[in-house]
Amino acid sequence: MTWLTWRQYRIQAAAAGVLLAAFTVMMIVTGLQVAAQWHSALSACATAGAGACPGGLPGTLSLGSRAVGFLVIMTLGVPAVLGILLGAPLLAYEMETGAAGFAWTQSVTRTRWLAVKAGWLLLAAALLGGAVSVLVTWWEGPDNALQADAFQTGRFDIMGTVPVGYSLFAMALGIAAGALIRRTLPAIAATLALFVTARALVAFLVRPHLLAPVTGYFPLGVKTVPLGPIWQLTAGFVSGAGQPISLPQDTSSQVIGGLGGRGLPVNLLPAACQALAGPGSGGARPSPVASQAVTACAREHGIREFLVYQPADRFWAFQGIETGIFVVLAAVLLAVAFWVLKRRDA
Amino acid sequence: MTLAIETSGLTKRYRRVTALSECTISVPAGRISALVGPNGAGKTTLLRLLAGLARPTGGAASVLGTTPRQDPAFLAGVGFLAQEIPLYRWFTAEDHIRAGAHLNPRWDAQLARDRLEELRVPLSQRVGTLSGGQRAQVGLALTLAKWPRLLLLDEPVAALDPLARRNFLALLASAVADAGGALTVVLSSHLIADLERICDHLILLSGSRAQLCGDIDALLEEHKVLVGPRKDTAPIERAHQVVQRQTTARQSTLLVRLGGPVIDPAYQVEDVPLEELVLAYMGAAEAPAGNRLTAMGEAS
Repeated sequence: MTWLTWRQYRIQAAAAGVLLAAFTVMMIVTGLQVAAQWHSALSACATAGAGACPGGLPGTLSLGSRAVGFLVIMTLGVPAVLGILLGAPLLAYEMETGAAGFAWTQSVTRTRWLAVKAGWLLLAAALLGGAVSVLVTWWEGPDNALQADAFQTGRFDIMGTVPVGYSLFAMALGIAAGALIRRTLPAIAATLALFVTARALVAFLVRPHLLAPVTGYFPLGVKTVPLGPIWQLTAGFVSGAGQPISLPQDTSSQVIGGLGGRGLPVNLLPAACQALAGPGSGGARPSPVASQAVTACAREHGIREFLVYQPADRFWAFQGIETGIFVVLAAVLLAVAFWVLKRRDA
Repeated sequence: MTLAIETSGLTKRYRRVTALSECTISVPAGRISALVGPNGAGKTTLLRLLAGLARPTGGAASVLGTTPRQDPAFLAGVGFLAQEIPLYRWFTAEDHIRAGAHLNPRWDAQLARDRLEELRVPLSQRVGTLSGGQRAQVGLALTLAKWPRLLLLDEPVAALDPLARRNFLALLASAVADAGGALTVVLSSHLIADLERICDHLILLSGSRAQLCGDIDALLEEHKVLVGPRKDTAPIERAHQVVQRQTTARQSTLLVRLGGPVIDPAYQVEDVPLEELVLAYMGAAEAPAGNRLTAMGEAS
C-alpha cells in the first residue's frame, strides 16, 4: 500500500518539497535581514542613551519587506490548501474515477487501504504545517517582540504548534468530506467551507474562553502597565463601590484615563471632580494641569481602571489547548471516514 | 463435488429498488459459468456480492468456503473485474503490475507483462490514453495475474473486438482446463454465442431473480420444444412446466421444462438451442402473467 501511495503522490510530494525549500531559503535570508535590522535599532537606542526609546523600540519601526510579510501572513492558508488538494481528493477522486475499484479488488481490505493512505498524508500534513510554522515563528521573533501582541488573530494562528493542529484537521476534514460526498469538487468546496467556519468559530468564539481571563485593577491615569504582550479582552472603569461604570457610545464630555483605549467621560464623575475639568469639547482631554486635578479627584473617590486579559505567559498554554482541540476534531473526522467506508458498499 | 459458490436467498435491497431478490444458486468448482439476463437483472449486483464488495441485505453467500468479506485471505482468492475496468487513469500498465505485486500475496507479474506484450498493449503508456479494448485487456491481464481461485468477470469482452474476444475466451478456457478444477469462472455477457463456446454452466437472472441455474447440458436436456396442433394444453401444463408458448391458428409451439416423458404423440419433441432457452426465460420473467409472446402470436 505504501508503494501505491507513493506512486500516487510522488508528484505532489516533489512539488511540496520544492515549495517548502524555496520558502525556507526566503525565510532564512529575509529573517536574517529582519533580525539585523532589529539589533541595529536596539543598539541605536542604547547609544542614544537612557530615555531615547521609552518602553522599548517604537511600534512604528517597519521590519522586513511588505511582500515577504504578506507571504508570511498567507501561510495562514497552508492547512486549507493541504486539505483541499490532498485530503478531499483522497477518497472522492478515486471513487469518482472508479480507480478505487482497482485497489479494492486486490488482496487489501478497504480499511487498510484507507489507513495507509490517510496515515501518510496526515504525516505529510503535520510535517509541512510544522515546518512552515517553525520558519514563521522564527522569522516573526523580532516583530513579536516589537508588536507585543502574539495573541492577535492572524499572528497567533501562524506560529507555534497550532498550524500542525490545523493541518491535521484540514486533512482529516478533506478525507471525511470525500468519504461522505464521493465527488471531488463538492468535497473540496465542503472542506474549504467547513474549515474556514471551524477556524473562525474557534478563533473568535472559543479561544478567548479557553482559560478564565484575569482581571487587573489599576490606578486611574497610569500610562502603561508592565504586563507584557497580554491579550486584552475588555477594559473599563469601576466606581468607588467596585461597580463597573458603563460608558456611553459617544460623549459630549471631556474624558480622562483610558488604559484600554476608551477614556472615562468627566460627566460620569462626582460633581466635585467635574468642576475641575474646565471647558473643552466632547471626547477631548482637559489641559494637562486640569487633567491631573480631575484624575486625582476621581482617584480620591476610589475610581479605578480595569483590564480583563489573558496574561502573556499563557501563550503556549493557548497554543497547546487549541492544537489539542483540532487534533481531537481530526481524530473524530477520521473515525467518521473509516466508519463510512466500512459501512458502505464499495 | 465441491461448490465454489453457494447462495441461499441472497437479497440486495437499495433504498428504493431491490437489485437482487431471493437468489439461490450454486456453482461447482472448476466450471465456467455464464451469467446472463437482461439489463438491470441484477448480474452486477450478484457479482459484487460474491466478490465481497457489497453486503447482502438478506440471505447468505458462501464463496470458496467462506462468507465474502473484507479479509485479505478471502480477497486474495477472488479476482473480480468490474465492467468499467477500474484503473488509475494516470498510471501506466506497468505501474499497475508493480502495484499488484505490492498488494497481493500471489502475483504473476510476468504473466501480465507477457500477455500485454503479446497483445501489443503498450506497458509504459498511461492507461487513460489507451483504447477501451486495450484498457479491458490491461484489466483482464491484471485480474489473471492475481491467480485467483474464483474469477468473477462482469462483461469482460464487451469492449473487445471479435478476434480479441475469441482469443480471450480461449485463454480463459485453457486456464480453467490447466487448473484442473482449482479455478472457477463466472462471466456475464449478452453474447450467448460466445458463452456457449466455453461455458458449461449457466445462471440466468431476470427481474432480480434467479430463473435458471445449472449445468448447460442438463438444462438443454430437460428443456424441449413441443410442436403440435392447436388444442387444449391443460394436460401438457399438468405434466410439464410451460416456459413459453407461441400459437398460430393451427399450431402450438410450447417450450417446456420436462416433468417426465412426453406421452401425447400429437406433439413433435425438438431440442432447444441455448439462445432460445435464454430468451424464453428472459421473456417469461418480463411478462409473467399473460405471456406477451402468446398475444403476439395470436395477433399474427
